[in-house]
Amino acid sequence: MRETHLTDGTESVLARRRLRAGLQRGGIELRHLLRNPKEMFGHLTNVVVALVIAAYVSGDVPGTPTPMAHLVIAGFAAYLLFQIGLINLPQLLVTEREEGVLLRMRATPGGITAYLVAKCLLVVAMAAGTLALLLGATALLVDGPLPRGPGGWLTLLWVTTLGLLAVVPLGAAIGAVLPNPREALALIMLPTMALLVTSGAVFPITALPVAVQQVAAVFPLKWMAQGLRSALLPDAARAAEVAGSWELPKVALVLTAWAVLGFLLAIPLLRRAARRESGSRMSARHRKAEQSGALAA
Amino acid sequence: MTTLAQPVIQVRDLTMAYGDVDVLRGVDLEIHRGEIFALLGPNGAGKTTTVEILEGFRRRSGGQVDVLGVDPERGDDAWRARTGLVLQSWRDHRRWRVAELLRHFATYYPDPRDPAELLDVVGLTAQADQQVDRLSGGQRRRLDVALGIVGRPELLFLDEPTTGFDPEARHEFHVLVERLARDEGVTVLLTTHDLAEAERLADQIAMLVSGRIRACGAPSELARQAAAQAEVRWTAADGTPRRERTADASRLVWELHRDAHGPIADLEVRRPTLEDTYLHMVHREDGDTDAGTDETANGEAQAA
Repeated sequence: MRETHLTDGTESVLARRRLRAGLQRGGIELRHLLRNPKEMFGHLTNVVVALVIAAYVSGDVPGTPTPMAHLVIAGFAAYLLFQIGLINLPQLLVTEREEGVLLRMRATPGGITAYLVAKCLLVVAMAAGTLALLLGATALLVDGPLPRGPGGWLTLLWVTTLGLLAVVPLGAAIGAVLPNPREALALIMLPTMALLVTSGAVFPITALPVAVQQVAAVFPLKWMAQGLRSALLPDAARAAEVAGSWELPKVALVLTAWAVLGFLLAIPLLRRAARRESGSRMSARHRKAEQSGALAA
Repeated sequence: MTTLAQPVIQVRDLTMAYGDVDVLRGVDLEIHRGEIFALLGPNGAGKTTTVEILEGFRRRSGGQVDVLGVDPERGDDAWRARTGLVLQSWRDHRRWRVAELLRHFATYYPDPRDPAELLDVVGLTAQADQQVDRLSGGQRRRLDVALGIVGRPELLFLDEPTTGFDPEARHEFHVLVERLARDEGVTVLLTTHDLAEAERLADQIAMLVSGRIRACGAPSELARQAAAQAEVRWTAADGTPRRERTADASRLVWELHRDAHGPIADLEVRRPTLEDTYLHMVHREDGDTDAGTDETANGEAQAA
């Protein structure tokens, strides 16, 4: 009896220690991100691009009194969330794996758990920060959209949460299989850009062939954008949607499906990536990196 | 000294095959508490594979492995907390500050060392607030050592720890490792290509060649096991320099004196160094056919 009690106590002490280590780690990583001028520049550029586009887009959404710029900003917000999950996160995972962070965490008791906790914290903070900056800056400078009333804020919250759940595990799975940071960017950039153009997230898609629209509708970006539009635009603007409504149940369904798929892929792939980490593998990757560096020079 | 205590590492008939290629063909090891144990061998001999199996990072094909009383393939967090790892190619956490990183990793362990004291031990107090990627190669490795021992491990794996060190940094590193083993009873498994380092640090040295342990023992015993020969040099009466290799240097010198009419010019006896022993082992292996290796192994077992 006493022994069982002791074991349980130890378990919860261990779990608490891991959670604390993970939260501390996430906080430190976030601080490093905020202090890194190069990366901050990248994120700020996104917001500046959105501002410029919003300032230049004129006219209203066809058939509604809503400014076209609002629709573009809502789409851009969805794209930035999408990018955090499917470009920034895999890039980060591959780079850290190559440097040996994953191996270090594997060699540390509870390290992998803490690593994942820290990454979740980092991604949520990045997403919240990006959204706040984008919506705040556009609202202040170019009269951009903000949710109207509690209902709008609630929609913004659940679409953002579900959208992140749809792309973050998927991004983690991609990060687990990509070979190295140099090829990683090329491999994920192209499909993402294609999706950006075809999904109608930022630019209305009625101009695109139906087949292309249907393919793009399989991926989460279109639904994230549609959900954010419903949160940010006045209800009357739904007249301009392809379906003539926001299709919120469908948004929830598609994003949930991607979240489930992402988790199903990410858990075994991340486990495999961590299991395969060893000193010799890390050295081999470093040698390869040096060779390709030497060839490029 | 701890014949009764269970060894920290016990390996019996460890085998590893990648497809058709046998990398380890029956390795036996026994490493005791507080020992500094050096594993030597040419590239491709299976050193890395052996160590990664012991670290729990690689699944073996066969044999029994026991590290700190646990099979590393089933090592949990509690087991992990009793081991420390220093690898040569770590370049992680570049943006972190030195003290920040060490303090963070201390939080993972139940009874960590004091990070500030540890920085002092590895001589990085002046760099405490420096970013990790601004450290020199030697400083970076000393930080890796600090990270490896922050959780007070009972067993420390050191993989080529002093590659790229200048002589002074190397000396300081050796003093640190000796202190860990002597004063705190930490068991150290060291893989290195630096034979002088192995001779300086190790209580026990094992030579792994072609997936088998070819010799194992205290540095002084190894030469005898390997039957490496001493070299005798002198200058003959006609002024020509002479050298001869022999297993019995004393007899050769006595014979020389018996035949000579007076002192022998430039007489010098060179005992086989660890390097001689090592090269002798590796070369003999190169000359062997596969069928021959078993005979050699048997011969060694009898000689030992």
